Amino acid sequence: MTNDTHDALTAFAATAANAVAECAGLAPRARATCLAEAGLIGVLAAESAGGLALGLDHAVPVLHAAGAGLLGYPLLESMLLAAALGGQAEAARIVLGEATATIAWAGRATLAGGRLSGTVGRAPMADSADLILVLTGTGAALVGANAAGVTVRPGDGLDVEAPDCEVVLANATPLALLEADAVDAIEQGAQLLRAAAIGGAVETCLAAAVAYTSTRVQFGKALVSFQALRHAMSRQKLAAEHIGAAIARSLMRPDDRLARAAAFAAATRFGAAAVESALQLHGGMGFTWDIPMHRHLRRIRSWEAQGDAPGLHRRLAAELLTANA
Amino acid sequence: MPTETLPSGDAYRRHVRAWLTVNVPAGLRIDQPGYRTPDLETCRAFEAGLHAGGLAGITWPVEYGGHGLTIREHLIANQEIGRLGLPESINSLGKELAGPIIMAVGTEAQKQRFLRPLLEMKQIWCQGFSEPGAGSDLAGLRTRAVRDGDNWRVSGRKIWTSASPWSDRCLLLARTGALEDRHKGLALFAMRMDAPGVTVQPIRQIDGSAHFAEVILEDVPIDAADALGAPDEGWSAAVRVLAIERATNRMYRAWRFENEVAHLVRACRANPTLNGIIGSGEYHRRLAEILVDIEIIKGYVEPTVERLAEGEAIGDRGSLMKLHWSEAHQRFAVLALELLDQAPPGADPEVAAARERFQHLYLRGRAETIYAGTTEVQLGIIADRMLKLPRER
Repeated sequence: MTNDTHDALTAFAATAANAVAECAGLAPRARATCLAEAGLIGVLAAESAGGLALGLDHAVPVLHAAGAGLLGYPLLESMLLAAALGGQAEAARIVLGEATATIAWAGRATLAGGRLSGTVGRAPMADSADLILVLTGTGAALVGANAAGVTVRPGDGLDVEAPDCEVVLANATPLALLEADAVDAIEQGAQLLRAAAIGGAVETCLAAAVAYTSTRVQFGKALVSFQALRHAMSRQKLAAEHIGAAIARSLMRPDDRLARAAAFAAATRFGAAAVESALQLHGGMGFTWDIPMHRHLRRIRSWEAQGDAPGLHRRLAAELLTANA
Repeated sequence: MPTETLPSGDAYRRHVRAWLTVNVPAGLRIDQPGYRTPDLETCRAFEAGLHAGGLAGITWPVEYGGHGLTIREHLIANQEIGRLGLPESINSLGKELAGPIIMAVGTEAQKQRFLRPLLEMKQIWCQGFSEPGAGSDLAGLRTRAVRDGDNWRVSGRKIWTSASPWSDRCLLLARTGALEDRHKGLALFAMRMDAPGVTVQPIRQIDGSAHFAEVILEDVPIDAADALGAPDEGWSAAVRVLAIERATNRMYRAWRFENEVAHLVRACRANPTLNGIIGSGEYHRRLAEILVDIEIIKGYVEPTVERLAEGEAIGDRGSLMKLHWSEAHQRFAVLALELLDQAPPGADPEVAAARERFQHLYLRGRAETIYAGTTEVQLGIIADRMLKLPRER
């Protein structure tokens, strides 16, 4: 990595952290404007759509900040979709924050005679989105969230701040279509960016655990002086480093699908355990609504479901068995 | 091959593959039919060959018998060696501990005297750090080195000394100051294992072998020329070198791990009963998690190599990798045993060979969370040095 690249990534991380903090006090629609003005939604998008046309390495610090700060905006979906739409008009609207976009990660819609039907799900914040990408058997289709034949209803995910929604399609008309390779690029990118976001969440929760155990006194001394708790935080740090290491390697090997899958799988497995451990260290406080551990945990479990971590494990195992028949 | 002609980068990988294809003796690959546990002399000859072929001492300077290449080539060689399931080095403590420490603190004469013979497998080294009363806490070390004119005399006991039954030299850590000095007053020596007063008492390990021993030192004379660094420098040199070594030693581990996983899967797939079991959903998640575990090890190794190659510091990252690898490897060994033990009675040579390999791995793997700093020591390093958690006030 050159020093210039390193400086650029550091600057991206700082910009993203500021924008995420600012978004916390804004309504969803205003968050779009805030993120767009900071230049974050268009990091991956084509220059003809007003984007920066940068690589995933620049999106990683942005999603890291989004995860660390519990951003309530489908930023990952907006960034990837704006990039996939190339120079199309919808891409520019997403980049500018004029339209909020999300992706229904689960289920497949049927595309027949130019019309979409079926029920898809795991679409974060589709209830406040303008555009929704739905997957089809062969690619994907973009629909207007308020268009005829499109109904958004609450899903059943754990996250209450960026809730998963279901989308029911009844002869809906697509605004644009994406080919299979574009959908593959979105799914591959999402694996990496979810890992980055989970890594950010883990670091926030670890910092909270360190702060809490450093000040909370029990048995006459600060909790942080008990070795069992110190080691629990070392395990949380280990999780954060595992996630960072897997992401770094995947960025070095962009065509290595196992490395990419491993970044996401490592993030869900070690990240969820680390946040659960940070929650545990908060004792009874950790079980309250006000302490944000549960919000991170809800978000991580939602990302895990959106990325279908169990299905990914099944595919990795099947490939291993096939390769060693 | 003359050292000067060794290529770098991708060409070096082709060289390594070609060399291994021609020079790996039949029966040395543990995942292949016809494998025989190699004896000491076979290992010695093979490792000497690796060095002559440019696959060991890769980053060491040419004037000391090395090949003068970068850590990137070191990684390439380790990847290719790991993939083949070749025997573990019988001189890893020489190549990965004693050698780098001599390079860091040794005199020019010592570098000339020790480094090349070690690579050529003419001198095998062991490591005399742990003692009956000083395991994880080396500051409690009691073995004493006292002046004898210009020379030294050493008395004490070392334990868990791997490779000592067949070693020529011992990288010995001994106390020149008072016990209260803790980490100060510790000196390093290149002690001859055939010196008078050295007694090696092999200790039987949990797998039945005796690769380590208790080494009793009774007034052992050590030449002034075999003292490494200044008398007070031993501990700081060891800590400095160990931080890098923990991140770079046995760099083949991830790729050898892949060889183990592939071997297990092949053995199961070839057996009708096990094929049905391993293909069932019950094992999908555990198999996938092991693949991910290996990718994480690579995620520590490959970017670390790049950082070192760029001249960056890596801090205590070695602790992270060591901790993860050792625990993941143990999880895998449990899975391998569990799967193979479900084979029906009867002769299946492939299952039998795999079971022998993985029973051994299961037992020997218990050491991996103990040696080179236990898991608990690594967690302490992360808490103290990486997280900088406050101590009790």
